[in-house]
Amino acid sequence: MATTTAPRSTTGTASSATARWKGIAAVGVLAVALVVAPLVSSPYINYQLSSIAVFAVAILGLNIVMGYTGQVSLGQSAFLGLGAYIAAYGILHGWPGPLTLLLCAVVPAVVGMLVALAAARLRGLALAMITLALPIVGVPLARRFDEFTGGSQGQVVSWLRAPESIGLANDQWRYYVVVLIAVVAFVLARNLVRGRIGRSFAIVKENEAVALSMGVSPYRTKVLAFTIASLLGGVSGFMYLAIVQYTSPETLVFATSINLVAAMVIGGSASIVGTVLGAVYYVLVPVLAGQVNSSRTALISGAVLLAVLFLLPAGLVSLPRRLARLRSSRGRPPQPPAHPTTSDEAAQPASAPPAATTDQHS
Amino acid sequence: MSYFIQVVVDGLSNGAIYAAIALAIVLVYRATGLINFAQGGMAVTATFVAYALTRVGVPVLLALVVAVVFGFLLGALLERGVMRHFEGGDPDTAVVATIALLVVLSGLSAYFFGYEPHPFPSLFPNRTIEVLGVFVSLRSIGTITVLLVVMIALQLLFRSTKLGLAMRAVADNPRSSALSGLPVSRLLMIGWGLAAALGAIAGVLVAPQLFISPGMLDFVLVYALASAILGGLDSPIGAVVAAAFIGVVENLAGAYLDFIGDDLKIAVPFIAVIVILVVRPQGLFGRKVTVRV
Repeated sequence: MATTTAPRSTTGTASSATARWKGIAAVGVLAVALVVAPLVSSPYINYQLSSIAVFAVAILGLNIVMGYTGQVSLGQSAFLGLGAYIAAYGILHGWPGPLTLLLCAVVPAVVGMLVALAAARLRGLALAMITLALPIVGVPLARRFDEFTGGSQGQVVSWLRAPESIGLANDQWRYYVVVLIAVVAFVLARNLVRGRIGRSFAIVKENEAVALSMGVSPYRTKVLAFTIASLLGGVSGFMYLAIVQYTSPETLVFATSINLVAAMVIGGSASIVGTVLGAVYYVLVPVLAGQVNSSRTALISGAVLLAVLFLLPAGLVSLPRRLARLRSSRGRPPQPPAHPTTSDEAAQPASAPPAATTDQHS
Repeated sequence: MSYFIQVVVDGLSNGAIYAAIALAIVLVYRATGLINFAQGGMAVTATFVAYALTRVGVPVLLALVVAVVFGFLLGALLERGVMRHFEGGDPDTAVVATIALLVVLSGLSAYFFGYEPHPFPSLFPNRTIEVLGVFVSLRSIGTITVLLVVMIALQLLFRSTKLGLAMRAVADNPRSSALSGLPVSRLLMIGWGLAAALGAIAGVLVAPQLFISPGMLDFVLVYALASAILGGLDSPIGAVVAAAFIGVVENLAGAYLDFIGDDLKIAVPFIAVIVILVVRPQGLFGRKVTVRV
């Protein structure tokens, strides 16, 4: 916890080594927990955990384009839906699973790239408009082209049954498949945002003119961010179909996009850990609110959303930092939280190996 | 030809509803730089107040007036109680706060009235009249007229009153306005109040057609957002023209293009919007903003 209070101060080699071991230990504990969880939980819990993995990947994509690159996207649900429909089509036509997954990644990525090639010239709200149009146009299209999509009834599939030899129940098997995909996506995304491309995302978000002067093309960077976001959206669609076994035009409605944006901000903009927290929030709050009072789900979820925004404007990921600050500066008035781009750094000691933190500051 | 004009008038009447909400969005955007997703929620809540009043026998017109006043107070209260807190912070957080307000407000409406749609009495008689050999519905004419009156009133407010001048000053540069002694925060409250009042008018006008439910304006909100952005978010006239364009194009496409039909007609104005924005990124009437280092 010591590193949490002073993420920016110069940490000695000894303490950074301990922090590193702590980080590795945390990842190890997390990995064991992820592997063991479905074996000891009910199918219902496994379904919820799998849902978190699904929406974590969707929010991850959104976070890359919105949190890291600063480009508003209100269309992530369209890519989720597109991925789910491609997966359903592939399964109903007997395509092999890996090929279907590949197509669920590539086709939305190409669509996203084409949209971005036209839209990335636009700034702010014009861009928001174009992304907003994707689910709005997508829903009636999905209803219309019913030979591909099953129309308003949607497509029911039955796949990804656990192989007999493994001895797992279907829900456990599906959990492992989606969590594996999610872990791969997160590891790749984490490396991406920590590297050269991540830095170009950050500078484009900060100031496009400066980016240009540093030889980073804002246009290409934005197109790339959009393409990655769409790719992850499509993959999450594949995962969605894996656990829900059903998709319909409802999968891509605009409201889902809005809720994903809310979940991303709640979790923590421009933060990998925040993305997971956002997904947990996205899945669990409606479930818990429904358990408190099933006819007041919306009211309770909205109130929780507002409360979190009031208390933690930089997202759930800033909670440890916020607590630390309250503890360390009891006399002084609490300062407003730092810019959201820095939220990842503060959260790192909690779960990820902090070796890369020093990397980022150098 | 007569059918064509009917379709256009109905489209204009839909467009008038989109325009009202779009104007409300522009109003808040100009004052605070935020897209207000709560706009639909505020409008529906105010419309439910009117609904409750008509249920106990209050005439629709009076109910409309009460709803408008209630909407104004609600908007001002939400600005003061909630949005003020997010001023000057991360704009993404503030926008998500408006989403939260939207969810809370529709949750509240559902708490009192449930999710199922209820019939809502119309302000105008449900008849068609003949104008120059063309039959048009009184509802469409009435909606368009009311919206035109509201627009003229808003224009007068902004152009020829001291309050309007102050609000424009705050929208243009809040810091300078504060330095010259304008009560910026109170003016922001008034801006939100006006936006919600506009929403109340739109809600009461459209409720007889859509039936009132907490999600009644979800779709209208999307159209209104499209109109506001297409018109250039800082231009009220632009928003209205864009809303009329969207309403008419959508109706014409639904009526005349067999392939499009009723279900796909929403796609047409949106694709048009995309094409226009790609060609003209600042919107139809927006000012081009040059970014300097």
